[in-house]
Amino acid sequence: MAGLSIERARKRFGDVEVLKGVSIDVADGEFAVIVGPSGCGKSTLLRAVAGLEDLTGGTIRIGARDVTGLGPSERGIAMVFQSYALYPHLSAYDNMAFGLRIAKASKAEIDAAVQRAAEILNIEALLDRKPAALSGGQRQRVAIGRAIVRKPQLFLFDEPLSNLDADLRVRMRYEFAELHRALGTTTLYVTHDQVEAMTLADRIIVLRDGRIEQAGTPRALYERPANLFVAQFIGAPRMNILPATVIEGGAAMLAEGSAIALPPGISLPPGTPVSVGVRPEDVTIGAADGLPFAIAFVERLGGLATLHLRGAGRATIACQIRDDGRLREGERVPVGFPADRLHLFDADGRRLAAEAEEDACHGAV
Amino acid sequence: MRRALVTGFAALVALLTIAPLLWMLSVSFMAPGEAAQFPPPLLPENPGLENYRQLFGTYGVGRFLANSLFVSTLATLLALLFTVPAGYAFAKLRFRGRDAVFRLLVAALVVPGQIGMLPLFLELKAMGLVNSYAGALVPWLAGIFGIFLVRQYCLSIPDEMLEAARIDGASEGEILRHIVLPLLTPVVVTLALFVFLSSWNDFMWPLIVLADQQLYTLPVALAALSREHVQDNELMMAGAVVTTLPVLILFLALQRFYLSGLLTGSVKG
Repeated sequence: MAGLSIERARKRFGDVEVLKGVSIDVADGEFAVIVGPSGCGKSTLLRAVAGLEDLTGGTIRIGARDVTGLGPSERGIAMVFQSYALYPHLSAYDNMAFGLRIAKASKAEIDAAVQRAAEILNIEALLDRKPAALSGGQRQRVAIGRAIVRKPQLFLFDEPLSNLDADLRVRMRYEFAELHRALGTTTLYVTHDQVEAMTLADRIIVLRDGRIEQAGTPRALYERPANLFVAQFIGAPRMNILPATVIEGGAAMLAEGSAIALPPGISLPPGTPVSVGVRPEDVTIGAADGLPFAIAFVERLGGLATLHLRGAGRATIACQIRDDGRLREGERVPVGFPADRLHLFDADGRRLAAEAEEDACHGAV
Repeated sequence: MRRALVTGFAALVALLTIAPLLWMLSVSFMAPGEAAQFPPPLLPENPGLENYRQLFGTYGVGRFLANSLFVSTLATLLALLFTVPAGYAFAKLRFRGRDAVFRLLVAALVVPGQIGMLPLFLELKAMGLVNSYAGALVPWLAGIFGIFLVRQYCLSIPDEMLEAARIDGASEGEILRHIVLPLLTPVVVTLALFVFLSSWNDFMWPLIVLADQQLYTLPVALAALSREHVQDNELMMAGAVVTTLPVLILFLALQRFYLSGLLTGSVKG
């Protein structure tokens, strides 16, 4: 097994620069997830690691080996594609055995490897079937089996769950986590779904427009987003952002016209424009000194409900609460923004951190 | 009702198409001169194999039949050998000038084959291939239509499948052999049939390039024969049967692939 190290990866397609100097280190055995909106370059980066695209600049190392110039099969990787990319004329068994047959492995060796993979993935009964006779989830398993059989140093997954229905996606997500625990292989996983990223990753890399916005543990990204983009990309429902101006006394004036207390430990000169971020689950309803908001719309999810609230100005915020069924649309409620749960961003969208937090942050990374 | 009408119409067209073939078969069993009566009889009075005996015995058509089989089989194999990899390469491999070359090839499709015959003949003459099977085979080696057909079909093969095979360690040759070829079966069969039929039925080019009578293919030999036997309808019909039957059998045997090849080649995905 081995870690992965990407240094200043650049990729240019004609005039378009898709990767603008991306550096990533994935430790041995780590599950790293690259997440970002479509067109951010995440699939290109993955394909470059696989050797399916040549980089315009930069190096890729797997373990101690520089693999930048090597072909896909020489890199010790296995890849699972979004479309599964199974060979339609071969049975599940032959799909999984294909790589070993090409490598001229012995019959016994091939059979042992395929049976072991089938056992791990629980598809022993399906080995005779052709891909056309398999369901989406089963095809996915065969594709993963084909990857396992190669005994790779590095697993690459390109949006493997996006062709599955919601129910199956949740189940397969759990199975990916289990599989990673069982095999312990270093994994690089690409998705546009932040929930997948949050649930699977040891480490998330948020990519936008060919650059890394932030990399860190899911917890770190959730609690200390480095900028407005990450703040809104990670977490659902997305973080509320309210424009405000700093005033005297550790407070800020919202564009609404009401003042809120800022997190302790942050001192900014009055008049500084800031964005105040607050996660829907941190907004409190019924606070004594709350600001008046009207409930515009209630989304009931069963145990939880998301309230869409409209303030005195035109700003709307979302708020997630335990649903006791009492709050109704049209009602006016006092809404609180706990100072210690607020995220503050400067005019350029960068996080403004209290000094104590800044230290903790560096310690974690 | 509408359905019955369509079926009836289709049956009528089928009957009109097959009637001459059936009569050809029937006449080939008639005695000399029998078909020239008026009204012409539909069935032979005393069916016999005399015409066939004469064809194979007196005129040695067996040799020409073997020539034709040899040339057509070789033409088909060689055409597949060059056309299928070329079509695949034009669809799936990245190389400089790929699209420009392909456009040029497709543009060349509009030039009728007959125009190329004289320059081709002169070229082969310079190469010393006139009056040999090598010369007869050259035009079949890499048909543009075949390349086009294979390419269009290959476009529907997802890139990810080929990339998966590359990651699995397969070389480009192994990918073509183990992944692409099995998927191309319908279009390969279609193309094989197409080339075999065309080269089997081809008259003009073998006539031009083959001077030696020993080398004649069946259509050329029968044409030569018919000049001497203009009156012998029954004999000529037997010759026509000998020409038609092998390809007819081949066509019917491969019809399943042929149809699916024609249909899938045109519609992507």
